[in-house]
Amino acid sequence: MNYKLSKSDDAKEREKGVVTTALRRLVPLLLTEWRSVSIALAAILISSTTTLVAPAIIAHIVDTYIRTNDFAGVLDFSALLFVVYLVGAASSYLQVRTMGGVGRRILFSLRNAIFNKLESLPVAFFNQNKAGDLISRINNDTDKLNQFFAQALMQFVSNIVLIIGAGIFLIVINPALGAAALVPALIVIILTQIISPWVKRTNLVSLRALGNMSGEVQESLNNFKVIVAFNRLDYFRDKFKEANERNYMASIIAGIANNILTPLYTLASTAAQLIVLAYGIYLITTGSFTVGLLIGFILYVNNFYNPLRQLASVWSSLQLALAGLDRISEVLALESDMQVILTEGTQRDEDSILAFDHVSFGYPDGDKDVLHDINFSLARGKTYALVGPTGGGKTTTASLMARLYDPTQGTVYLGGRDIRSYEPHERAKRVGFILQEPFLFTGTVKENILYGNDEYAAYTTQEVETLLHESNLDPLLARFNEGLDTKITSGNDAISLGQKQLIAFMRAVLRKPDILILDEATANIDTITEQLLDDILKKLPPETTRVIIAHRLNTIENADEIFFVNGGEMKRAGTMQQAVDMLMHNKRDS
Amino acid sequence: MPAKNERSASNQPSLYGLLRPYTVLIILLVLLTVGGNALNLAVPHIMAKAIDTYGGGNFRLENLIVEFSLVALFIFILTALQNIVQVYASERVARDLRNDLTAKISVQPYEYIDRITPAKLLTNLTSDIDAVKTFVSQAIATLISSIFLIIGASVLLLLLNWRLGLAVLTVVPIIAVTFYYVLAQVRKLFKRSQEAIDWLNAVINESILGAALIRLLNSQEYEYKKFLAANTESRAIGMNILRLFSSIIPVITLCTNIATLIIVVLGGHFVITGSMTLGDFTAFNSYLAILIFPIIIVGFMSNVIAQAAASYARIAEVLHAPDEKETGNLTIQLRGDVAVKSVSVRYGEKYALKDASFQVAAGTRTAIIGPTAAGKTQLVYLLTGLRRPTTGTIAFDGRPIDEYDKTNLHRQIGFVFQDSVMFNLSLRENIAFSNTVKDADIELAIQTAELDEFISTLPEGLDTIVSERGTSLSGGQKQRIMLARALALNPRILILDDFTARVDTHTEALILENITKNYPNITLISVTQKIASVEKYNQIILLMEGEILASGTHEELMQTSLEYMQIFESQRSTNQYELQT
Repeated sequence: MNYKLSKSDDAKEREKGVVTTALRRLVPLLLTEWRSVSIALAAILISSTTTLVAPAIIAHIVDTYIRTNDFAGVLDFSALLFVVYLVGAASSYLQVRTMGGVGRRILFSLRNAIFNKLESLPVAFFNQNKAGDLISRINNDTDKLNQFFAQALMQFVSNIVLIIGAGIFLIVINPALGAAALVPALIVIILTQIISPWVKRTNLVSLRALGNMSGEVQESLNNFKVIVAFNRLDYFRDKFKEANERNYMASIIAGIANNILTPLYTLASTAAQLIVLAYGIYLITTGSFTVGLLIGFILYVNNFYNPLRQLASVWSSLQLALAGLDRISEVLALESDMQVILTEGTQRDEDSILAFDHVSFGYPDGDKDVLHDINFSLARGKTYALVGPTGGGKTTTASLMARLYDPTQGTVYLGGRDIRSYEPHERAKRVGFILQEPFLFTGTVKENILYGNDEYAAYTTQEVETLLHESNLDPLLARFNEGLDTKITSGNDAISLGQKQLIAFMRAVLRKPDILILDEATANIDTITEQLLDDILKKLPPETTRVIIAHRLNTIENADEIFFVNGGEMKRAGTMQQAVDMLMHNKRDS
Repeated sequence: MPAKNERSASNQPSLYGLLRPYTVLIILLVLLTVGGNALNLAVPHIMAKAIDTYGGGNFRLENLIVEFSLVALFIFILTALQNIVQVYASERVARDLRNDLTAKISVQPYEYIDRITPAKLLTNLTSDIDAVKTFVSQAIATLISSIFLIIGASVLLLLLNWRLGLAVLTVVPIIAVTFYYVLAQVRKLFKRSQEAIDWLNAVINESILGAALIRLLNSQEYEYKKFLAANTESRAIGMNILRLFSSIIPVITLCTNIATLIIVVLGGHFVITGSMTLGDFTAFNSYLAILIFPIIIVGFMSNVIAQAAASYARIAEVLHAPDEKETGNLTIQLRGDVAVKSVSVRYGEKYALKDASFQVAAGTRTAIIGPTAAGKTQLVYLLTGLRRPTTGTIAFDGRPIDEYDKTNLHRQIGFVFQDSVMFNLSLRENIAFSNTVKDADIELAIQTAELDEFISTLPEGLDTIVSERGTSLSGGQKQRIMLARALALNPRILILDDFTARVDTHTEALILENITKNYPNITLISVTQKIASVEKYNQIILLMEGEILASGTHEELMQTSLEYMQIFESQRSTNQYELQT
């Protein structure tokens, strides 16, 4: 399966920029928040009412009391005005607070949803997508939705209500003049419909460019030591500059697209006023209208067009949010093709802990098979070695044993059952795999040793030490300055690769798997410590099967059986001497 | 007052200092904004005049249409231009700031990046710069024109009736104090909010780099919990910011409304007592409307301003970090002598290296062996200048490392890292990403690293794109690419950090042979575990617990060092096989 997230600009553009379609996509997000949204709606209604009522009260005070020199009346109604202002302030606070909360919570749950999705996807997904771009989706794209919900949605809704209200009013007062006044609005709304998909697309391109740039930065910063040592800082700068420049161009286009509506709507607004004025004066000359009515009408036209102009600025926020949602949905729509399957009648002999049955495999983005028709069976309690030239398929074989990938053909059996039929936690318990490139999380040595180990998760340092002692692992701990409390940071160069391998080794052994795979897991450990590791491996429970991939011959000399892996094929090597002969004299097929 | 310290510490004025190079653009932007708004105000005036002249009887429709259309057109042009300038200015500021920031990062030593962490730098380059960009695009022009409006309206109010004017303007300081207080509070929160983003970045990054391990151990749930903790923190800070901000706009609106109330009550009183005309009273009310509007706008912008100030303070921290100590400018062709003199590296109390001294003559081969965590990798990091010793000196050809021009030095020292680092680029670029590398050098490097056969099997050869983190390559292939990368520089000194660990014995033998053949006079320093492959070296250095225990040729060490003999013994059992090579 291909997990590559789209990079091209030809994203599906079926949907139109219709308001309803756009809003419909946001509705599922809002459904969980309907209570808050209702409160915010009520609040904005009240606060809008107070803004309308306050001038009326002032007019009343001036007309009724100030003109009649009644100061007591002024005071009474001023008190009322004060109350209205207070209510207005309280309801506007409530609206901002509630919708802000909605935005934050949607942001929170969207981020969780994407991260959860990432965690449910197999390793193949991560081979095909850049870390920086994924980070940008989780952190930046979600924030566009937050901003829309927190700042724009209520403006959007209240403006639409105002527009509809004012529009109806115009038609009712004078249908002909009203219709004429609405013509410019109609034109710009149609125009908006037409350009909205383009606006959204420019935003999508811009978010994508930001994702690419973030990918560039992340890759370079993660590997900064190589860039420094190879004096390629200029290269880093140039590459970043290029990504930055692309992002700059995309942002400018998106920015202009986002702002294109504002002047257009302003133009529509002035045009409408001109139409009303000219047409109105004509109507007056025909005697069917009065100057007073015209002045009033112009005010209502403003009431219609002012919220429309505000809508224009909110509109771009919506398009940006939708573009963000597109990129988020792209991740959320991915499904892992490595589900747990139900199996009946695929039982095999129980003696072998692990078996490959006509297994072939090729990586999703590679064009040729890495393994061809591999068959073997591993017995419980034995030690196996896989040797062979680099790139021969040893690591791939091991990865299939742990179901990091599924074979493209054939079946892998674990304890007689199709490995795909195991629940992940069950499989993780049975198969231990020390990866070729050990990875440590920021934290301490202790946290890394116990990582992913539910059984000992709550152990104190003291208890872990005892535990390590019982498993004969304590001599390895001596290699760390501050023992279990040695700090591990992201850059991590105070810890050598050999030390990382020691931690990975302890982590795997403590889990007591049925089968333990070591993929060049001790390659950077000195030979004396390695002998220690050999002893530890020997003392593992007798039913534990060990699979060792190594180049160093002393690592594999105690194996019960040696397989020679080359060019995606696997041969039994028989004796150590035969294996060495094969290694020395066979042509490397890769 | 803590708010004051906060202010001086985060040197907020620099946000405006940042904009100095763009003064012309900003002035243009302000002019366009003011012009557009002023013309908009002219529209009602024209309408009023039209209606008046119509009433007067000498009304000409054509005049009205021409005048009106002209104004409409100008408004359109001005607002369109304003939008374009606004977008252009903000994106320019963002782009330049990003380039400045990366330029700064690129001259920092490796240790700096290690300490600041990539997660924070990523936030700096994306989210933080975005906040500054929003400030430029949304706030700056509005802010400046609002301040003009506020001052102008205040003057008008005072001229009209200074007593009432003063009474009304008393709300302005109240608003200013509220503002100042909230901004001071919120700046700290925004800083924490960006730090929460750093945290999210770090968690996501680790969960991606460790993807295979997480799936093997089925620890997705645990990763999710880590993410949830960061995300929850981010939400909590967001909610706190919201709590402050959702109050600021209602408070400001209420204050301006109270000003209206003052006019109604006090002005009403003046009118009733006869010290003010009703006309002035009405005018006062409309001027107040001019005053209120920009104040509320500034209130809306406070969010943007506070966030930009906090973000820019974070960016400035990186931008104004002290430059690395001036390095030397010595640019000479190295012979390849290396001298390490009494070098120590200390982390807190612990010594990673203690008083290490040795010399390597040009063109000779030196091996460094020793147990895990002995300090071998630390030592080679010092030799490449990636780290600096706590005490002691490192010299090439008798001149201390600090005297050399860094670029020049890095070009002559090839370093093969222990862990493989691949970039999402073509193989060719991975082997030589600088344009100064000649094709012939790449060719020779590839041949020496025994990569030619592998590359010839790829349909796209050297142009094959390597996936990020090199997931499409085997460990040995990556290691050989790393070697080719070092050799393509055609270096005088080649440093191998445990290079042979992931390469099979047969290939290893071929590669070492190739190096001797193709790079005859190279100085070779090799960290290794295998004695067998370095027995013939001119010098073997035995490192243990950060100290040099012994050094000499294989034969000498077999005579003098018990520890060396032990290591040798531990490898002997397999020597019978290795000897056949």
